[in-house]
Amino acid sequence: MDFATIMQYAGWPLIKIVILLIPVFTVVAYMVWFERRLLAFFQSRLGPNRVGPLGLIQPIADGLKLFLKEDLVPMNSRPFLFKIAPIFAFFPAFVGFAIVSWALPWVTPSGKVHPFVVADVDLGILFVLALSSLSIFGIILAGWSSGSKYPLFGSLRSASQMLAYEVPMTLSVVAVVLLAGSFRLSDIVAAQEKLGWYYLFPGILAFGVYLVSAVAESNRVPFDLPEGESEIIGFHTEYSGMRFAWYFVGEYANVTLISVLGTTMFLGGYDIPFVNDAALYAAHPELTSVLGVCAFAAKAALFAVFFIWIRATWPRYRYDQLLKIGWIVLLPIALANLVLVALLKLWLLR
Amino acid sequence: MNAAARFIKMVTFWELLKGMAITSRFVAKPKVTELYPDVRPVLPYRTKGRLHVEIETCISCRMCEKACPEGCIKVFQPSKEVFKTDKRPVEFYISQEHCLHCGMCVDACPTGSIHHSQEFEMAIYNPDDLLFDKETLPYDLDIKRFRWNFIENVPVKK
Repeated sequence: MDFATIMQYAGWPLIKIVILLIPVFTVVAYMVWFERRLLAFFQSRLGPNRVGPLGLIQPIADGLKLFLKEDLVPMNSRPFLFKIAPIFAFFPAFVGFAIVSWALPWVTPSGKVHPFVVADVDLGILFVLALSSLSIFGIILAGWSSGSKYPLFGSLRSASQMLAYEVPMTLSVVAVVLLAGSFRLSDIVAAQEKLGWYYLFPGILAFGVYLVSAVAESNRVPFDLPEGESEIIGFHTEYSGMRFAWYFVGEYANVTLISVLGTTMFLGGYDIPFVNDAALYAAHPELTSVLGVCAFAAKAALFAVFFIWIRATWPRYRYDQLLKIGWIVLLPIALANLVLVALLKLWLLR
Repeated sequence: MNAAARFIKMVTFWELLKGMAITSRFVAKPKVTELYPDVRPVLPYRTKGRLHVEIETCISCRMCEKACPEGCIKVFQPSKEVFKTDKRPVEFYISQEHCLHCGMCVDACPTGSIHHSQEFEMAIYNPDDLLFDKETLPYDLDIKRFRWNFIENVPVKK
């Protein structure tokens, strides 16, 4: 094997992964800071503002503190499973970023095309959905291997919640796939550009279902029963230090991923609003790519702000209400929406 | 009509959105958090802070010493010869280490020489530093502040 082959199959993807992961880690870390600040503003407080200007070094301080804490393993736990369980929660959320297409591809003067994506998988969304089901393992293994009944109950609650909301979420994604005609995220954005409407409007029901099940999938208020920070005991009760931090980071990475995917599917991804992207791309390709990433980030930030906003506002659902919403309300809506979208696609958006 | 309105409210999640509108109002409102070390709070008028004594108006009657439930005040009268003309105490000790900030000495004082100040930052490393004497007790009119342990250049909350 010559150097060029190694670079093509191992080198460039690795470099791309590093280039992607650094901003993603930063965004995930600062999302915690942003959530704490904004939540505090909703509650007439100021939030963390002591470490650095505006408290901007707070995530680093938190990370350091968690890193230096003792790593406790309970005596009657299953040490091996207990130790690997956080990886299952941590890794699917980060792998999901690989298929997200961040901007229009960059064409070099020699005619080579560099897409702004680590792996442009044909079945991109399916891949993410499969991975997000994998993160249930992280939760159920944590609960089971902790050697305590309360985390076990927490993980059981969490598993049934995630199963209940996986189905409507997948169906809402299927509606988008039906409209776009492709599982690939860049194709979905291209189809939205071609249509001239974001799928928010033809798929408004799918968007609603996606939003609700996204909140439930990422275990956030008002569906935060797996953790229940204030009163219920959750699945990661026995975890401390860095292993807990992995769950924490994984959760926020999940929120970020869900925001990013929702942006791609319903808000047009890197499409710049009110601008003819194709014409701009023909004139200034680099500018379009940069502006596209900015538009993407702004749209994804809207999701994040919405998630924080509902956390500041709504109380938690009871457990039976939670499952009822998942199976009795969202699932029929998602199915009906699927039929509606199919008819829409058949008659109007051909 | 009523049923239709209820249905519309149910479908549009009216109550939930109303709640979100209410919480969104708080984002721009002034915050209640005290930024204490950076910005000094304005204390109430009757704050019972550290005691301070105007030695110039004190007549060494020792009423405060007798009124103090903790016995943390010690007044030394001048000699009888001096006392006829100058009633100021020779030495005046208050141990803030034991002081309850109860204000009984303030009530007892016939001349109003001893009173509470607004000073409350008395966290120190050596407890002996909390024994105040004639030099550190009064409010210094020349420099317009207490002579003890005053943090400078801290803005006061508006």
